[in-house]
Amino acid sequence: MVHAQDSTAAAGAAPAGGAGGGDAAKGEALFKNNCAQCHAVTEERVVGPGLKGASARHDFAWLSKWVRNSQAVIAAGDPYAVKIYNEYAKAQMTSFPNLSDDDIKGIFAYIDKAGTAAPAAAAAPAAGGATSGGSASAQGGGPSDLFVLVLAALVVVMLLVLGVLLVIVSLLSKAVGTETENVNKGDFMARLGNSLKGIAGDPAIRSATIWIFVLLVLKATIDGAYNVGVQQGYAPKQPIAFSHKLHAGEYKIDCNYCHTGVNRGKSAHIPSANICMNCHGVIKKESPEIQKIYTSIENNQPIEWVRVHNLPDLAYFNHAQHVNVGGLECQNCHGDVEKMEVIQQRSSLTMGWCIDCHRKTEVNTKDNKYYDKLVQLHSGESKEALKVADIGGLECSKCHY
Amino acid sequence: MKFKDLYKYLLLGGVIIIAATSCKRDPNDPGKEYAPNMYRPVGYEPYKQDAANPVNPMGLTMRLPVAGTVYRRNYRTSFGDGDSARRDLMVYNIPADSISVSERVLKNPIPLNDNTLAEGKVLYERYCQHCHGATGAGDGKVGATYKGVPNYASDAYKNLNEGHIFHVITHGRNRMWPHGSQINPEERWKIVHYVQKLQKGA
Repeated sequence: MVHAQDSTAAAGAAPAGGAGGGDAAKGEALFKNNCAQCHAVTEERVVGPGLKGASARHDFAWLSKWVRNSQAVIAAGDPYAVKIYNEYAKAQMTSFPNLSDDDIKGIFAYIDKAGTAAPAAAAAPAAGGATSGGSASAQGGGPSDLFVLVLAALVVVMLLVLGVLLVIVSLLSKAVGTETENVNKGDFMARLGNSLKGIAGDPAIRSATIWIFVLLVLKATIDGAYNVGVQQGYAPKQPIAFSHKLHAGEYKIDCNYCHTGVNRGKSAHIPSANICMNCHGVIKKESPEIQKIYTSIENNQPIEWVRVHNLPDLAYFNHAQHVNVGGLECQNCHGDVEKMEVIQQRSSLTMGWCIDCHRKTEVNTKDNKYYDKLVQLHSGESKEALKVADIGGLECSKCHY
Repeated sequence: MKFKDLYKYLLLGGVIIIAATSCKRDPNDPGKEYAPNMYRPVGYEPYKQDAANPVNPMGLTMRLPVAGTVYRRNYRTSFGDGDSARRDLMVYNIPADSISVSERVLKNPIPLNDNTLAEGKVLYERYCQHCHGATGAGDGKVGATYKGVPNYASDAYKNLNEGHIFHVITHGRNRMWPHGSQINPEERWKIVHYVQKLQKGA
């Protein structure tokens, strides 16, 4: 190609070895578009090597050949090319045959310029991150401070009430008269004790106390019985300390990415180790928690996650029906998973809870011919919108069979 | 005195009840269960196993399908306008190292229209966006940490054809790992449509 011949001539003319005379502004755009994903302008190793000083190490002819087709340079047996190929675990660099000589010169001009300016710029974002973190923690402290304040105010009010009651008791005991006169008038506690004895001896108060006690015990028993089989708040320790807060919250990985079954079938699926490896085959390899995944894969031993949301076998539930057809968000039933460090069952998953939602939730019938006749029939009978309960959401045999 | 005894017993009872109920439940404890034989499945169900299976390796109830098993939905698929538009055999046996074959051979069987493009967008957001970014510029939240995620619209990538994209989703390439197990062929082809839109620059 004419271009290629031109490039060798140009390189010969430029005495500094590198890509002298490139347009750095144009190079910046090209670098960010094509190179920045894998290369830094400093010496920092990203995916490929840092490019600071690359134009001094090599002449332009070598650089342009490498950029346009690095595999050809390696295949030709260039010692430096082979060395760097092996050093980077034989990862192939994408070829950029469309970049012209001017483009490549521009890119390296930008690298030379930015590589020296970069350390100062890198410090700024770090400082910005620190301040934003500080403000977040201050916000987190807000509600709990308010809570403490309310509690303190309550305690003060209750102390006041107690004081008033004591005053009333002492006044009353004075009014009752004779019995208290035996006691030393200054002995407040003795008078209080006497009057309390009087109250405790009163048959009406005694029976009221017994009844209150019995009712409280009864309520506690019924509450306890209703909680049998309800696992709300269950947050077991998992074999690997996986954080949904980090993956779903901070990194915004979609729930579907790992729970691939949620749109297709009954179960949302617990991801198998190969899905973890999509990222962790490359990043955070040294973490002891990630090492557990590697051990599991090497031994072909499944990771024994502890199931958190357990429905009894007598109830049928299908994820696809609710998520794909019903269009529910995962958070509707599972709570703020993206804020949970350890996954926890937030909803009660009782039948009352299911039924309650079926009664309240309107069916999305828009642009769906399946519902046309149902809507027509329903609107004849009722003025309310078509709810899940109206299309069989309360039928026993929908879930129990 | 009698009433004193009564209050003593009530106080004692109250203390016992409060002591028994006030403790917070251990997060590792699923709580009490009534009639476990109605709660736990009798048959073998995936994800509901609570005792080691004595027959299978590693005590697992779930087993891998026989090697070479083809998922029925990949075998007979229907898409396009109405159920009659049926294309069979969405089975691809192109090995991971033969991307040039995929580039030459594979054609997207799914017609490009607003529906399939919209579905492709939803699937892209689920499976790709956290690395490749909303516009395909490689600027997703995970991509920023993971590094090496290309810009679809850059010169080296904007002309890659549909077979290439399909192959990369299925088998991975360079730093990207294979996603064939998560995304079935039909979904992959829909994603291909959307990626090709992003290649033109969003």
